Amino acid sequence: MQMRAEVQIRSMIKALSEVVLPAVDAGNQLAQEQTRLTIGMLNLMAQQLPLQFRFDCDELARLLEFSRQLCEQTQGGPGCEAARAELAQGSEHAAEVLQRAAAGPSQVEQAVRELRRLSGVLIGVCSSAMNLEGQDRVARLVLAMSKAQLLRDRAWLLPQGWEPDPQALPPITELLRDTKP
Amino acid sequence: MLAIDGNKDRPSPAFIAELRRRFPTEVEVDRVLTRKLQWRAGPGYRPLPLATLIEGVARLLRTQLQTPFAISDARWLAGGASKLQMAFMLEWHRPGAGEQRTPMVLRMEPAESIVETSRMREFQLIKALLGTVPVPPVFWCDAEAEYLPYPALIYGFARGVTKPATSSSGVSGLGTHLPPELRARLAPQFVEHLARIHTFDFRKAELSAFDVPSPGTQCAQWGVNWWERVWEEDSDEDVPLLRLAASWLRRHAPALDRASIVHADFRVGNFLFEEDSGVITAWLDWELGRIGDRHQDLAWTTSRAFGHYAEAGGPFLVCGLLDEAQFFAAYERASGLSVVPRTVHWYKVYNAYMMAVLLLGTGYRIARNGKTHQDVLVTWLMGIGYMLLDEMRELIERGA
Repeated sequence: MQMRAEVQIRSMIKALSEVVLPAVDAGNQLAQEQTRLTIGMLNLMAQQLPLQFRFDCDELARLLEFSRQLCEQTQGGPGCEAARAELAQGSEHAAEVLQRAAAGPSQVEQAVRELRRLSGVLIGVCSSAMNLEGQDRVARLVLAMSKAQLLRDRAWLLPQGWEPDPQALPPITELLRDTKP
Repeated sequence: MLAIDGNKDRPSPAFIAELRRRFPTEVEVDRVLTRKLQWRAGPGYRPLPLATLIEGVARLLRTQLQTPFAISDARWLAGGASKLQMAFMLEWHRPGAGEQRTPMVLRMEPAESIVETSRMREFQLIKALLGTVPVPPVFWCDAEAEYLPYPALIYGFARGVTKPATSSSGVSGLGTHLPPELRARLAPQFVEHLARIHTFDFRKAELSAFDVPSPGTQCAQWGVNWWERVWEEDSDEDVPLLRLAASWLRRHAPALDRASIVHADFRVGNFLFEEDSGVITAWLDWELGRIGDRHQDLAWTTSRAFGHYAEAGGPFLVCGLLDEAQFFAAYERASGLSVVPRTVHWYKVYNAYMMAVLLLGTGYRIARNGKTHQDVLVTWLMGIGYMLLDEMRELIERGA
């Protein structure tokens, strides 16, 4: 997916700073202030978004350690057992989640880009190196993969309103329902 | 894939030379694409005050007019996804007509555009078609940005609207919904004008910025080379389906049966009409025009992106005007030219390929590098690329 938050936010900041803000009535202080705040908020988002996942994982790791120590310190405490057991169970689940989150979004995105690039190279090579039958086999594979992916791409962008028959597309939440993590 | 894996934001001379060697196309197309890469490492687009453009127009006009003139009422125009437009009033002594107040439009490139095209080609094409179909009169061209900040042309302001006042539409006229009574008035003109463009005798016109393809597949090859080159120049994330499509297009390239002027963006949103009468007053946006295969235009108009379904579960309407079979039958009657289904099919794939390239490749690159006056609009348009890719996938699946 090429249309990502990075380029979206960057273009919104430019539009607001260079086109909208200069045109906002200087006498309308509320509008002036909120335009500047919106630009500021978008700048903050641009900085935070790439780090958000790592930030959350970092917090979860420290919370796990904190929970472990808390369970230790409260062992045998009168009236603590039920709450302690619940925290221990919650920590177990959180530790499993953290383990599954070993690869971050930027690593997943990089892996996607690399596989797109490498498969693109191979498809290009096939068109001159393989016979027509071989090319047709490759074509069928590319078309099948693209069909499944483009269904998701289109559902992802459905709110933009480009689709002539939006009802024909399943919601993106349904398409991603069984995807882990 | 290129042998030289260049930094696309700072393309080296070797990277540019490799692209030019691998993807031969028309001379002027090559020149403009090469210039784009040579300028790429330069600054992004920064807002220009109207006064700067007015001064640039005045500098250009001083080289063209022998008598005094005055420029007034300058204002920005919206619409379109690729070029900046400034409306203004010119008081001047028009040769052969005397003193006049003529409403004009300056059409200028930003630092980089979603379609990198030649102002000289656009200028020559509009001038050539004047009198054949409604076009705005075109006056002057600053093809190399000698007087204005970027290459530009000046044409007369054409009156009319691109959509009814009560109709909704998306950016650049996409998704315009036309009511049935208006369709009935616009559709015959739409077909007639396309037929006139395709039967226009271009060999008598001054079109030195265009090359005429030889009989055979050169026209199709030039087209595929053009857009595959742009993908190599601009793309970020690769799309395996586009790699497949490029080889499919080369494998099935159709032979040209008759060279015609091709508008290459002939659709609703690119013509003006009088809302009361429904008369088309001007065809706009000739920048992608070429001498090529009429089927390119015929296929273009049928894209999902430009039409909508008729009311009450009716058929899909080409450009929101009439269904595809009716459109092709009316075109054949009006032009006397045949519509070859196999060639239409190829150009549908070609057009979807081209649009996906410019939306997902160029759109990303120029918005990321802050090269236009409306990066946010260009980013918004990227979203349509996936629907077009899926349209292209279905077409390839259906076969040649």
